Amino acid sequence: MARKTNYYFREATTGFKRNGLVVFAAISTVFIALFLLGLTLLIRQEVDLIIERTGGKVEIAIFLRDDISDAQQSNLQDQITGMPEVDEVRYESKTDAFQRAQELFKDEPEILENLTEESLPASFRVKLVDPETDFEVIGARLAGQPGVEQIKDQRELLKKLFSFTAIFRTGILIVAILMLVSAGLLIANTVRVGLYARRKEIGIMKLVGATNWFIRLPFLIEGILAALIGAFLAILVLAIMQIVFVEPLRGNLLDLPVVSMGHLISIIPLLLVAGLVVAVAASFAGMRRFLDI
Amino acid sequence: MISVQRVTKRYKNGVTALDEVSVEVEKGEFLFVVGPSGSGKSTFIRLLLKEEEPSEGTIYVAGKSLRDLSSWKVPYLRRNVGTVFQDFKLLPERTIFQNVAFALEVIGKPKSVIDQRVPEILELVGLGDKLNNLPTELSGGEQQRVSIARAVVNRPLILLADEPTGNLDPTTSQDIMKLLDRINRIGTTVVMASHDSAIVDAMRKRVVELDDGKVIRDEERGVYDVGS
Repeated sequence: MARKTNYYFREATTGFKRNGLVVFAAISTVFIALFLLGLTLLIRQEVDLIIERTGGKVEIAIFLRDDISDAQQSNLQDQITGMPEVDEVRYESKTDAFQRAQELFKDEPEILENLTEESLPASFRVKLVDPETDFEVIGARLAGQPGVEQIKDQRELLKKLFSFTAIFRTGILIVAILMLVSAGLLIANTVRVGLYARRKEIGIMKLVGATNWFIRLPFLIEGILAALIGAFLAILVLAIMQIVFVEPLRGNLLDLPVVSMGHLISIIPLLLVAGLVVAVAASFAGMRRFLDI
Repeated sequence: MISVQRVTKRYKNGVTALDEVSVEVEKGEFLFVVGPSGSGKSTFIRLLLKEEEPSEGTIYVAGKSLRDLSSWKVPYLRRNVGTVFQDFKLLPERTIFQNVAFALEVIGKPKSVIDQRVPEILELVGLGDKLNNLPTELSGGEQQRVSIARAVVNRPLILLADEPTGNLDPTTSQDIMKLLDRINRIGTTVVMASHDSAIVDAMRKRVVELDDGKVIRDEERGVYDVGS
């Protein structure tokens, strides 16, 4: 068994040397395809993380003028509470706001330096029954009310972010799929070139009674090896990017979470499976034309 | 050993290569299949190897019906049927030893068997001293001996030879025939397609003559051409 396994791998690696350029092209394409696929998966995870973190918290903020009277304030609160769309109203005083800012910018002391309790406005934080409710409905009713400084829909920013990442992700995904297809074609071609180069040996093998699997296996291994090397490179580059670019963002991107190495590790099986499926399918497609077995 | 029963082979282009051919070959027999080019000799050989399927009729080789033999079992059939061709089909970058060993390696024989059998069979074909030569360093006759050694190293029941002397001069051809005769005498059934009348006449073995895909003669101790 060991000797046979040896044979298969020896044949597969000889194949690599024989058509180095084609193999290189195949490996590079697999690498790019799986790198992009990994990227979309990680962006997706990042978006999920942000949604998870902020989902329950996204709210409408109604900032109050500093000169608002107590009567105006309680009137406003009653009015908001009475709206059918509103789930919950919370008053955030200047002190509360200051405390939250301390937490939010704890890694950026230069911001906190210039921050005083007085400089921050008090606000009503409004949670909606249905987060999809149009902000304008609420906004229009409250705009211009005495004591209201400004109304901000914090969901808006996230919506923009999400729609941007959605387009971005779809784009990358399409490119990743195209690259995977090209990778498949290149692997099929690698196998075909290998078969052509060895057509004489294969003819003799068939003649003396080598089984089809014995003939096929080295080529299958060659295709799978190319895919695995590409996958390994993709994972490596993603890991380097994670360490060099993503990790330093942690805690510096306001309060937003960032994907971790754990997320990267969790997508590795998927990348490997994608690479393997393409390699096996492509190898068989490549063999089909030449080996009528 | 081989039973060909009313076999017809028509190709898609309309050519009928074999037309209701029936031939029985006993174990240990030596059979010539003769006839001009295009008479169906090569098709006959290919059908026995299940490289092609007959359009009609049935073929038994080594007790198995080829029609019922599923394609994954074909390699196992071929391990029992050695083949020799006009063009030797040797691997030019491998030594004589490696060429013969290749036939055993690819059917998974252990190294101990290979190291024992390959020198043995090369000795038998008279090339015991050329184990490490490359095919290009050998004469045509010697190369054909290597190819015969490769065909019989796995001790097949049947040896099929398609014009094995086609590329060789008369003297060398006679040596090859002596070798095939020896292999036949140790029990291997030999079927040889040839249009070399001198060879066929010298051997006085059973002759099946094909013409235009039909068997027109089947006689013991025959010669190439009864008309001349």
